[in-house]
Amino acid sequence: MSLNVSQLFDGQLEDEKVERILHETAADPDMRDRFTLYGLIGDSLRGNSTPDDGFTLRILERIKREGAGIDPDFDPLADA
Amino acid sequence: MIASARRDSDARFADASAAGYATAAMDQIDPDHELVRLARLGDARAFEALVVKYQRRVARHVARWVKRAADVEDVVQEVFIKVYRGLASFKGESAFYTWVYQIARNTAFNFLTRQSKLVLVQEDAAAGEGDERTDTHGSDNEDPERLMLAQQISDTVKLAMERLQPELAEALVLYEVEGKQYKEIAQMLQIPIGTVRTRIFRAREFIAKRLEPVVGPVRNRRW
Repeated sequence: MSLNVSQLFDGQLEDEKVERILHETAADPDMRDRFTLYGLIGDSLRGNSTPDDGFTLRILERIKREGAGIDPDFDPLADA
Repeated sequence: MIASARRDSDARFADASAAGYATAAMDQIDPDHELVRLARLGDARAFEALVVKYQRRVARHVARWVKRAADVEDVVQEVFIKVYRGLASFKGESAFYTWVYQIARNTAFNFLTRQSKLVLVQEDAAAGEGDERTDTHGSDNEDPERLMLAQQISDTVKLAMERLQPELAEALVLYEVEGKQYKEIAQMLQIPIGTVRTRIFRAREFIAKRLEPVVGPVRNRRW
C-alpha cells in the first residue's frame, strides 16, 4: 500500500487512481504518516531536515480560520 | 508500468483543460497536475497533500529573505492562503511548484517592504522619544530542540543512505537530489520504469523505518 503512497507523492499514479489513493491515504494514519515521511526524506536529502512539529497543521488551520476559499477573481501573483 | 492514459499527454491535457487547467505550454508533465486539478475542484485533501509536500521547501525559500523563524512561519502561512485562494488563476503554464515559488518570493518581499516601513516608523518614534532603537528583525530565534531534532533527522537519513543497497540509493538520489523524472532515470539506468518506481519506494521505506523512532514523538502533530 505504501508503494501507492510513494507514487502519489511523486505524481506517478495513473490519474484515475489519484483521488482514491489520496483519500485512502488521508483516512489512514499510517499511510498519512508515510506521505509526510517521504517528504521529509526528500527534503533531508536536499539539505533541509526541519521537522514538521505542527507547521503544516497550523497552515491548514489558519486557512480554515480565515475562511479562505478559492476565489476566481484572485490572482496571487498580482497581489501586492 | 504507467498506464497509457498517464503516458498520453494529449489525453491528460484534455482532461486537465476540462477543469480549466491547461498545461499544454509545459515541456514536461507536471507531477502535481492531478492533485492540483482535484484541489481546484474543491478537494480539501488534495490541497492538504500539496501543503504537506511543499511546506518545508517554501519555508526554506522564505527563510532566505525573512530572518526570524516566527516571521517565516507567518509568511509561509500567508503564501499558502494566497495559493489556495488563487488556485483558479493557476493556468498550468508552469509547474505548480514554480507558481508557488513565485508567490512565496513576492510574499516574502512584500513582508520585507512592510517591515522596513515599520522600522522607519519605529526609528522616527524612538528619535522623538529618545528611546533605544528597536530591532524588529532580531536574531533567528529557532528553537534549540527543533534544531537538534533536525540534526538527528539529517544524521539518520545520511546513515541510512550509507547502509542502503547502492542501486536503491542511486535511484532515490537521481530523483530527489538530481531532480530526474522516473522516465529519465529508467533511461539512464537502462531499467524498466516499474523498477525505478520500486527502487525509490524501497529506498524510502528503508529510511522511513529508521526515521520513525526519531520523529515519532511529533507524529501526532503532523498531517
